Amino acid sequence: MTVPIQCRPDEVFVLNLGPQHPATHGVLRVKLTMDGEYIVKAEPVLGYIHRMHEKMAEAGSFAQFMPNTARMDYLHALAYNHGYVLAVERAAGIEVPERAEYIRVITVELNRLSSHLLWWAAFLLDLGGFTPLLYAFDDRERILDLLERITGSRLTYCYFRFGGVYNDIDDEFIAGTRDFIKRLRSRLPRMYHDLVTHNIILIKRLKDIGFITPEQCRKYGATGPVARGSGINYDVRKNEPYSVYPEFDFDVPVYTECDSMARYMVRMDEIEQSLRIIEQALDKLPDGPVKAKKVPKILKPAAGDYYAAVEAARGAFGCRLVCDGGKSAYRLKLRSPTFSNLSLFGEVAEGMLLADALAFMGSLDLVIPEIDR
Amino acid sequence: MSIVEETRKALLQLFPEQAAAEAEAEAAADAEAAAGAEADTDATAEDTASTEEAGEAAGGEETAAEPAAPAKEEEPAEEGPRENGVLVTDHAARGTHLDVLCDPEQVVEAAGIMDEAGFFLEAITGVDWIKEDRMEVIYDYNQTGPDPCRVVVRTFIPRANPEIPTISEIHPGANWHERETHDFFGIKFQGHPYLEPLLLPEDADFHPLLKDFTP
Amino acid sequence: MGTEKVPSSIVHFAELDKLLNLCRANSLWPMTFGLACCAIEMMCTGGSRFDISRFGAEVFRPSPRQSDVMIVAGTITRKMEPGVKTLYDQMPEPKWVIAMGNCAISGGPFKFKGNYNVVEGADQFLPVDVYIPGCPPRPEALLEGIMTLEEKITGKRRWPRRQPGQVTG
Repeated sequence: MTVPIQCRPDEVFVLNLGPQHPATHGVLRVKLTMDGEYIVKAEPVLGYIHRMHEKMAEAGSFAQFMPNTARMDYLHALAYNHGYVLAVERAAGIEVPERAEYIRVITVELNRLSSHLLWWAAFLLDLGGFTPLLYAFDDRERILDLLERITGSRLTYCYFRFGGVYNDIDDEFIAGTRDFIKRLRSRLPRMYHDLVTHNIILIKRLKDIGFITPEQCRKYGATGPVARGSGINYDVRKNEPYSVYPEFDFDVPVYTECDSMARYMVRMDEIEQSLRIIEQALDKLPDGPVKAKKVPKILKPAAGDYYAAVEAARGAFGCRLVCDGGKSAYRLKLRSPTFSNLSLFGEVAEGMLLADALAFMGSLDLVIPEIDR
Repeated sequence: MSIVEETRKALLQLFPEQAAAEAEAEAAADAEAAAGAEADTDATAEDTASTEEAGEAAGGEETAAEPAAPAKEEEPAEEGPRENGVLVTDHAARGTHLDVLCDPEQVVEAAGIMDEAGFFLEAITGVDWIKEDRMEVIYDYNQTGPDPCRVVVRTFIPRANPEIPTISEIHPGANWHERETHDFFGIKFQGHPYLEPLLLPEDADFHPLLKDFTP
Repeated sequence: MGTEKVPSSIVHFAELDKLLNLCRANSLWPMTFGLACCAIEMMCTGGSRFDISRFGAEVFRPSPRQSDVMIVAGTITRKMEPGVKTLYDQMPEPKWVIAMGNCAISGGPFKFKGNYNVVEGADQFLPVDVYIPGCPPRPEALLEGIMTLEEKITGKRRWPRRQPGQVTG
C-alpha cells in the first residue's frame, strides 16, 4: 500500500525506533524519516547485539563452537545446531546413524513449533493482544518440558553432536510427544484459529499490509515464510533435501497474497505440517545407535570449503565452512535468513503508516541476535 | 537439460577460452562419434555425456558436467593455482553444484548472469588468506526452482589493496552483505552507495576478522 | 550482594520508610528490555506457567521512566553500552538492576581472547543489585532473583530460603 508522499523536505522529521522498543523484539534500531504518520524512509541500524560468533568459530575447536549456534537464533536453536553439524559432518565425512537422523528431525520440528508459537504470541502482543501470549506459552512450556527431558536445557540447546545426538530418547518422551500432538491438534482450530485468525481486528490489521512482491523477495534473498507468503514455493527441506526429510509426507504451505496475513497463515499451516512430520517420524523411528562410532574428539577436516543449508523457522540457514586442515574453522560464514529478510524492510516500509510498519515488522519474525551474529 | 547444466552454459559466457576449448572438444567428440560426419564447432550438446567426457580430457581443469559426478579438482592451495573457469562440484561432498573462479572485475558480469537466470544472492563473505597475501571474496547464489542448484562465485584480490566492484545495483540485497564484508575485512566495494559500518559501531576503524587482528 | 542503601528523602521517617519499602518490594515494575536469549526466559517468567504476577512484578513497562527495576537480560555490546546507560539514567529513583544470565554478569560465553565487541559484565558501568547465573537462567531462577531483590529492599525474606536437598511437603 503506497501513499503518495506530499511533503516539503523541511516538514519531515527523524524518529528513532529502538534500540529499546518493545516491538522490535530485541535491540534493533530503525531510523525512520517521517512525514506525519507516514514513513518516508526507513533504515534499519544493526549491530547492537553483534556477538562475534564468526570470530569465535576461528578461535576454538569445532566442538567448542556448538553452544554458539544455539545462541544465534535461540528460538530455533536446534535448526542452527543442525546446520552447523551438517557442514562439519560434510567436511569431515562423518556418517550419521539412521535413528539419530530421526531424532534430529523430531527435535528440530518440536523446536520449530515452539518457535512459531512464540512468534505468534509476540506478534499478537505487538498488535495489542495480550491473552494469546498466555495460550501460546501454555503449549510452548509443554514442548520445552519434552525437549528439556532429553537435551538438558530449556532454550539454548546443544544437543546435536558430530555424527549423531547427545542422548537417546525414551518411551516417556515418545508418549509425551504423542500426547502433545493430540493436545495441540485439538487446540489449534478452537483456540488459535477461532479466537485469533478469524478475528476481524487481526484481519484488518494484516490484510494488504506489507506487500512484498516475489521479485522483491528474490532481489533481497528472502527465504522462509516471508518468501512462501509471497508465492515462492521454496523450502530447503523439499528443494534440497537433507537428513531424512524425504521419508516424510508433508506439504509446504504457500500463499500468494504477499501481505502480512499470508505470512501469518504460512506459519500457522507450518505448525500443522510440523505436527505431521513428528507423528510420522515417531511411527517410523528405527532402532539402533544414536551416535556414529569412531568420531575423533578433535576433528581435522581436509582443506576446502563446504556448504550446508537447513530450513530454520525463519528461512534458509546456511553454513559456509572454510577449512585449512587445522582443528578449527579457518572461516565460518553463517548465512542468517533474517538478515536478508530484514534487508527488504526499508524498501517495503516506504509510504506505510507507522502502525502498519510495526505489524509488518512483526510478520517478518525477527530474531535480532541472529541478524547481527 | 538440467538447471545445473543450463546455468553452467550461461556462466561460460564469462570464460570464452574455456567455452572455446569445450566447443572444440565437443566438435572432436562429435566427429569421433559420427566417424567422418562433418565437424561443426557450433554444434549444440546433444550427447551431453560424451561431450563432457571429451571436455574433461581436453580442458584438463574440467570435471564431468553431470551433477552427480565427483569433483576431482578442488583445492587451489594444494594443486597449484586453479585457472579461472566453471567447475562442477559434487553436491553431496561440497554442498554446492557449480564453482566459479573469476577475476575481480568479472563479479559484476557474473552477478548479472545469475540475476538473469533467476538466482538470488544468499551471502557474500570474505576469507583472509594471510599466508598467500590475498583475500578471497565468495558470493553464494541459490535459486528457488524445484531442482537444487547452488552456485558459488569466488575471486581473489590482493590483501594490501582489497578493492572489488559492487554488485548492489544488480542485487539490492547485496548492499548489506557488502557492508558486512567491509566491516569484517576492510574490503572496499567500489561504487557502493553507503559503505558505512553495519554491525560494528559507527566509528569502528578495525576489521576484526582479519587474521592479524588483535583487539 | 552489596550494602548500598536505597536513597531516600533528607528527613527520615523510619516507619514510613519501612512501609514504603514494603510497597516497593511487592510491586517491582521491570522494564521491557530484552537484549538476547535471556529475554525469552524473561517472557516465560511472565507467561502462563511461572506467572511473575504472583510476586507483583508483572507490570512490564516499555518506558524506563515508569519502571523500578532494570533486568539486564542478555549480552551488552560496545554499541549498546551507551544505550543501556542512558536507559538506566532515565529511570526514576529508587531503582535497582538485576543482571540476568552469564553475559550480563561477566560476558559469559562471549568472553574469549579475541573479544572485540562484548562488554564483560553489566557491573562494569551499572550498580548491579542481584546476579542471576545461568545461560539462560530458568524462570525459577529469575523469580528467586526477584525475591532476593525484595529481601534486599525490605530486609526480610518473603518465606524461608530452601536449602539444597531439603524436602518440603
